[in-house]
Amino acid sequence: MPTPEQLAIDRRAPLRVSVWQVRWRRFTDFTRRYARNRMAVIGLLIVLTWVVVGLFAPWIAPYGYDKTNYNAANQPPSFAHPLGTDALGRDQFSRMIWAARTALIVAPTATVVGVVLGVFFGLLAGYFGGWIDEIVMRLSDVLFAFPGLLFALLLAATLQPRLAAWLSQFERIKPWVRAGYVEFFVVVIALSLVGWPGLARLVRGQVLSLREQQFVEAARALGVSPWRIMWQHIFPNALPPVIVALSMSMGSAVVAEASLSFLGIGITPPTPSWGAMIYNEFASWRSPSAPWLLWAPGLAVAALTFAFNFIGDGLNEALNPQDRLT
Amino acid sequence: MGRLLEVKNLETRFHTQDGTVHAVNGVSFYVDEGETLGVVGESGSGKSVTMLSVMRLIPQPPGEITNGEVWFEGRDLLKIDKEEMREVRGNRIAMIFQDPMTSLNPVLTIERQITEVLELHLGMNHQQARARAIELLKMVGIPAAEERIDSYPHQFSGGMRQRVMIAMGLACHPRLLIADEPTTALDVTIQAQIVELVKRLRDEIGMSVIWITHDLALLAGLADRIIVMYAGQIVESSPVHELYKNPRHPYTIGLLQSIPRLDEKQRERLQAIEGLPPDLIDYPTGCPFAPRCRFAIEKCWEVDPPLEEVSKGHYSACWVKPEGAEIMHQWHASNTEESQ
Amino acid sequence: MSQGDVLLDVQGLKMYFPITEGILIQHHIGDVKAVDDISFTVRRGETLGLVGESGCGKSTTGRAVLQLYRPTAGHVYFDGVDLTTLKGEELRRMRRRMQMIFQDPYASLNPRMTVGDIVGEPLEVHGIAKGKEKLDRVAELLEVVGLNPYFVTRYPHEFSGGQRQRIGIARALAVNPEFIVCDEPISALDVSIQAQVINLLEDLQAQFGLTYLFIAHDLSVVRHISDRVAVMYLGKIVELADRNELYENPLHPYTQALLSAVPIPDPEIEAQRQRIILKGDVPSPVNPPSGCRFHTRCPVVIDVCKEVEPEFKDAGGGHYVACHLVH
Repeated sequence: MPTPEQLAIDRRAPLRVSVWQVRWRRFTDFTRRYARNRMAVIGLLIVLTWVVVGLFAPWIAPYGYDKTNYNAANQPPSFAHPLGTDALGRDQFSRMIWAARTALIVAPTATVVGVVLGVFFGLLAGYFGGWIDEIVMRLSDVLFAFPGLLFALLLAATLQPRLAAWLSQFERIKPWVRAGYVEFFVVVIALSLVGWPGLARLVRGQVLSLREQQFVEAARALGVSPWRIMWQHIFPNALPPVIVALSMSMGSAVVAEASLSFLGIGITPPTPSWGAMIYNEFASWRSPSAPWLLWAPGLAVAALTFAFNFIGDGLNEALNPQDRLT
Repeated sequence: MGRLLEVKNLETRFHTQDGTVHAVNGVSFYVDEGETLGVVGESGSGKSVTMLSVMRLIPQPPGEITNGEVWFEGRDLLKIDKEEMREVRGNRIAMIFQDPMTSLNPVLTIERQITEVLELHLGMNHQQARARAIELLKMVGIPAAEERIDSYPHQFSGGMRQRVMIAMGLACHPRLLIADEPTTALDVTIQAQIVELVKRLRDEIGMSVIWITHDLALLAGLADRIIVMYAGQIVESSPVHELYKNPRHPYTIGLLQSIPRLDEKQRERLQAIEGLPPDLIDYPTGCPFAPRCRFAIEKCWEVDPPLEEVSKGHYSACWVKPEGAEIMHQWHASNTEESQ
Repeated sequence: MSQGDVLLDVQGLKMYFPITEGILIQHHIGDVKAVDDISFTVRRGETLGLVGESGCGKSTTGRAVLQLYRPTAGHVYFDGVDLTTLKGEELRRMRRRMQMIFQDPYASLNPRMTVGDIVGEPLEVHGIAKGKEKLDRVAELLEVVGLNPYFVTRYPHEFSGGQRQRIGIARALAVNPEFIVCDEPISALDVSIQAQVINLLEDLQAQFGLTYLFIAHDLSVVRHISDRVAVMYLGKIVELADRNELYENPLHPYTQALLSAVPIPDPEIEAQRQRIILKGDVPSPVNPPSGCRFHTRCPVVIDVCKEVEPEFKDAGGGHYVACHLVH
């Protein structure tokens, strides 16, 4: 809180705060608040590391991800293969590096659609209320009762092959189609389409209480338009649970991708993914002949999940001006 | 009149992550039997914390009573064990708060809540306790007490809830009632009802009252003596007539000049106290009021003035001790000139 | 007293809030009659005080006047334009001319916006200024309300209650309004800070020729700041007169009781005063009493009060009152 001395106006000095100064202060405040949370910084570093690894995979990886060598199958970690090899004699270390790409493509896309839909419908229902709220909420009731995975399998069986065939005519996209990304996106988007009601309800609840806040009424009294009130006044204050939901689903998307792969509607082999690697080697739990194949992808998934959650926490603190800066 | 309560050099601190809050800083005062003491101060002045310290109701940690004595009926309340203290709280000293809803249990009937106290402290059986409870509710002016006693707190209005709290406080014939802003959340007509009620009960039962408030006007018709608190200290202490006629501390003078009066005919420009109360973590070395004081001299910034007697029973903690009567007079005069 | 032309003319204003029951099909089972048929005018440049106890409908009146609640019935003429007929964009543009200052300086400022954004927002949404120009104007406004212009980059929680209230005032002033509804602007502030804000409001009125509708429960403050005062009870205006007339010569028994309940900071005067202690509490606005709404608590009630609603009319010299004993 400012002291009385700071309160006093120095009339000799003209105001010299420029628009850029204001923006710069806002940015530095944000970074300082974020930087104060050590775990959030570590989380960011983990994600950045995987981004770099994924980007430069062809140069970092000593072998190709699909290069088999039956003479060197099921080898424990050695100097030539730091993380050992799998049953097909593929270098686990190289596959780990290539799989970073998959994880970093999969996590955001799997999350974004659901979050955008959830936030949008939640804001709409909460702020406008009345019949809009009624429609959105009844729709979400229906979707809650919807067997999401079944719907996804249905789409994967019907829409997906046609889409893949259509996309395959474009030369540039062809390798992506073959790697199973298209198939995966179809499934993920399908899941998001039926999966947004949870977040929408969360957002709606926030909006309902924020809508009654006096600063929202003040904005209305000032003549601020409804859309601006929604985005400028309500949304930023409803953000904390959204960010938590976002970071949690980022982490779980990496895990979910693995289970979808297991069901055969995820990333197609031989495209490497950490999830698929874990599932493929699941048998080794019972006969721990090659446990090394499980440890590396398991740790990678865990690290990334934690990292996203730490980043979420850090963002929440950094975006909250009431969090004191000392 | 005998001394009922005497507090000596009380000091309370709160240890927070930002530092130590100097909430109460060497407060000494007393209450005589049958007397009504008014305690006035703004939020953060330490008026409530002082009384909570007296009652040993400060959560520890983060709070800590670091110094002082509280003499009540021949015992130092800060030294007796917890069991004894509980006895004092229920039986000898009653306390009512600003928000009666938070002091009442919402899921129990009023009957349960009053009879519990009676059974516990006075060893009555349920029959007796219920009869006494109805009697108490009648005494505090609750209509149809026989029926209302089985209601839940939310079925009462704010004023009625405060009456219930007073009835509970009176259940065991306390010697002292500490009222912490009991009317702040109520409307003026209800406030008048509660004030009348407490005055009546005080005279009937012969108990002493400590009435804590931020409203200097309210105390004029209620208190015998008033202490004014600022930044965890008593800055002025005086019999009621003397305080309003000739306040001797700049803060009290400032308060009287900054509140509009109901009987103001000419529109007088208020004399606001500029600035803000001090930070209780970074406690100032000199007089805590010095930064906002019109009369401050150099000494005020260096040495905290002690409470000194200016006339019989009237104390002021100020190096300057301006004559409030004169200042108020001049102020009224200048206001009249301006408006002409 | 200023005798300006009428800026605000409120006629037969009613604000009912429906009470509904039922899960799927909502039955309308009654109304909270927060404001029930009130009429008053505010002249240009004057301050009309609106006092009453909690639940009397004074804050609802302020909001219904500004169309923050759409009135159930009645008309609100602002400079000749009936606000109740305006919608959407028309109404939004009208808000440049009428503003509001809120009670709670903590809740009325968006915690995630800087002071610069808060005070600058009205400038932006009404297309008055943006960018550098906006920032300069914000700095100027902060100076007008007695705050350091460098505070533009700070957030509301960094300020005390009184300072926040100043920020709220600066925001209301940003669009150069003619009329401001002050809804209990000082009741959340500490005593020593209240005077600062009252003085500021008075100075701003003199400087910019503002017209105030000043809503408060503190009768002393209302007397201090108002030119004329209206007293509300249970959704009705029971008395309206010039400030000194109302406080020196209250005609309605409720006004008399209300005034007698307010303490005066002088023990000698207090010792002489006769308090009129009202019985019981304010009845529910869902089922207000028949006839005169005050009859259940009135110390001088007569039979006719229970059946016939008294008319609100001039008792001479612009002193309006609704009481059978007067007319």
